[in-house]
Order: sequence, then C-alpha cells, then structure tokens
Amino acid sequence: MGEMEQLRKEADNLKDQITAARKAMQDTTLQEAAASINVVGRVQLKTRKTLRGHLAKIYAMHWSTDSKLCVSASQDGKLIVWDSITTNKVNAIPLKSSWVMTCAYAPSGNLVACGGLDNMCSIYNLKGKDGNVKVMRELAAHTGYLSCCRFLSDSEIITSSGDCTCVLWDIETGTQKTIFAGHQGDCMSLAVSPDFKFFISGACDFTAKLWDIREGTCRQTFGGHENLSRINYILDLCKLYDLRADQELITYQDSSIMCGVTSLAPSLSGRLLLAGYDDFNVNIWDTLKAERVGVLAGHDNRVSCIGVSSDGMACCTGSWDSFLKIWN
Amino acid sequence: MDEWDVPQMKKEVESLKYQLAFKREKSSKTVTDLVKWIEDGVPEDPFLNPELMKNNPWVEKGKCIIL
Repeated sequence: MGEMEQLRKEADNLKDQITAARKAMQDTTLQEAAASINVVGRVQLKTRKTLRGHLAKIYAMHWSTDSKLCVSASQDGKLIVWDSITTNKVNAIPLKSSWVMTCAYAPSGNLVACGGLDNMCSIYNLKGKDGNVKVMRELAAHTGYLSCCRFLSDSEIITSSGDCTCVLWDIETGTQKTIFAGHQGDCMSLAVSPDFKFFISGACDFTAKLWDIREGTCRQTFGGHENLSRINYILDLCKLYDLRADQELITYQDSSIMCGVTSLAPSLSGRLLLAGYDDFNVNIWDTLKAERVGVLAGHDNRVSCIGVSSDGMACCTGSWDSFLKIWN
Repeated sequence: MDEWDVPQMKKEVESLKYQLAFKREKSSKTVTDLVKWIEDGVPEDPFLNPELMKNNPWVEKGKCIIL
C-alpha cells in the first residue's frame, strides 16, 4: 500500500473515532433540555432607519463597539462609516478595488478594514492627524479572494480567504504571524470568540473549524466528518453546534423556506438567531426551540449581511438593494 | 483531499489526532449550561423586553422632523 493510501486510511479511521467519541458524549438533546421552556412570543422589529448612499450591492457591514457607528462595503467601490442614529455618513472612503467582499470595524473604533477580489486586506486609519482617511497598510499574501476579516486589536487582524487559509496578521509590520491551514475549500467567513482566544472559520468544504489563535491549531471540526457527497444536495442551513460536547445540536429549518442563508447574528442573550436569506427577508429563530418567531421584510433584494449591535439594542441589515436598514 | 500531497496529508492526520484528543464533556452538562446561560441573559435582551427599548435612540423623539 502506498504512503498516501496508508495516510488516507489513517485519516478515515481517526474520523470514525471522532464520530464515536462524539456519540459517547450525547446523553441528551437540546429538545429534551429545552422541553419545559416555552417558545418566545412573536418578535416584531420595525425598520427605524434606512441608510441610503451606496450605488450598488452591499456585501458586508460591521457595527462599531459603540453601538452607534457602523461600516458598510459595497461594490460601488466605497466603504461608508455611518452614524446609524442620524443616518449621517461620517466617512465615505473610496477603494482602490471595487470588488470588495468584506469589511470590519476595529474594537477601538480607530481603524476599519476591507478586502475582496484584490486578495488583500486594506487597513484604513479613521483617526489620522489631518482628518483624512488614508490606507494605513495593505496586507498582501493571500493567493485567493479575501472573504472576511476581523480585528483582534489595532495591531492584529484575522482574515479568511478563497485560498483555503485564514491568517493572523501583524498590522504594524504587515506580515503574517500565523497561517491557519487545513480547510479543503474556500474559507468564506470567520467569527472571533469574545475573549479573543479562538476563532471559527466556515468554508466551502462544508465544515466549520475552531482554531486556537495563539497555538495556531485546529481544535475541532464541525460538519465535515459525514459523507461529503450527501451534503451537496442540502440547502444552506443554519445549524447550532455545542463546542464543549463537540456535537451538532439542532438545525434551524422550516419546510416553507426554500432558499439559502447568507448571514446570521444572535441577539444579546443568544435566545434569538437572526438570519438573512436569499428571499430578501430575515427570519428570526428561537434558538432553543428551533421555531421561527419573526420575519423582517423590507429589502428589495437579497439580504447579504446582518449584525446586532454590542448592546443588543439594534439589528442592521445590508442588502443587494444597496440599502442598510436598522431594526428594533 | 484529492489534490493533496503526502506532507499535507500528514498534517491532516496530525490535526485529526489532535482533534480526537479534545476533552469532550457530556451533553447533559453542556446543553443544560447553554440553556441556563441563554435563559439568564433573556431579561437583559432588548429584543425580548420592550421596557429596555423605552429609550430607543433610533426612534424619533418628536412627532415631526425637519428635513
């Protein structure tokens, strides 16, 4: 048997062991644990503001930690920083490349970042001395598109790419500190844990991986140990995974929903899951009961991005209809 | 994985060994903790408590706004 064949056998064997280890931990389900809890009442959020100004599809948005400002990225080639309360545009930043796919606001509020088909992550300083917003760094090394980016601080940012890797960058020096490799498909999104120790990446290999930022290792993989060929026929779904028990807990689906999920955000407590869909709506799910408890309708095209402010007071949606809406 | 070479496959096997070693906890403990954590947070969740939205910065204070 060739070395490759042997390694493949070893990998399959390990995957089977992981599946067995997971099964051994499964002594209850979310349905059982939440059986005595009632579904939350109907949630009705209204559009409070519409942020108008982009001239093309909006691909991404991210709230500032102050729960007032937010940044959006559109393929009209602009990054706009909005005061969501007054709807004023605080900054309108023209981009070198209009093929932007992601944007992020640094926790400090000092920087924003974006990237896309230019394979780079560009960092902009919002608080420059002369008041002009300029490119501070261009982080270039990915060999594929930039799908997502999230700041850890003003000096570190994590990016995910179509080249199947995620990277932790040192913004000061513009160099890669750690490369997180292991996905077998384009990395499409990432989310950082509140304590900044871990992040989760989602990829086109139908898996989500939990990474230890400092160790550079993949601690857990979700969704990929099943037979991949079956997953091809499943629509984009929302699933909840339990990290400590290493289990898939529940799937948020409804026979009346025939389209894919583009984005999702939990409410402050996590009791609600707001998910943006291709059918122009946002569905609000009761996280514990997996029942739909609300719908946000108002966009005229696909909802491409969604975010809940850090104080939990407002939800922002961005759409291919070129508008952002604030709901609560 | 079909396009991977031997070194990449070796890394994948190492990664799988590391992932297998993860200290998993029983669902009965983790799911109960998760449900409790969420339920504890519900009273502070603005989307689930109208009283918390009384001072909603996104709602116009007066009846008319001057454009």
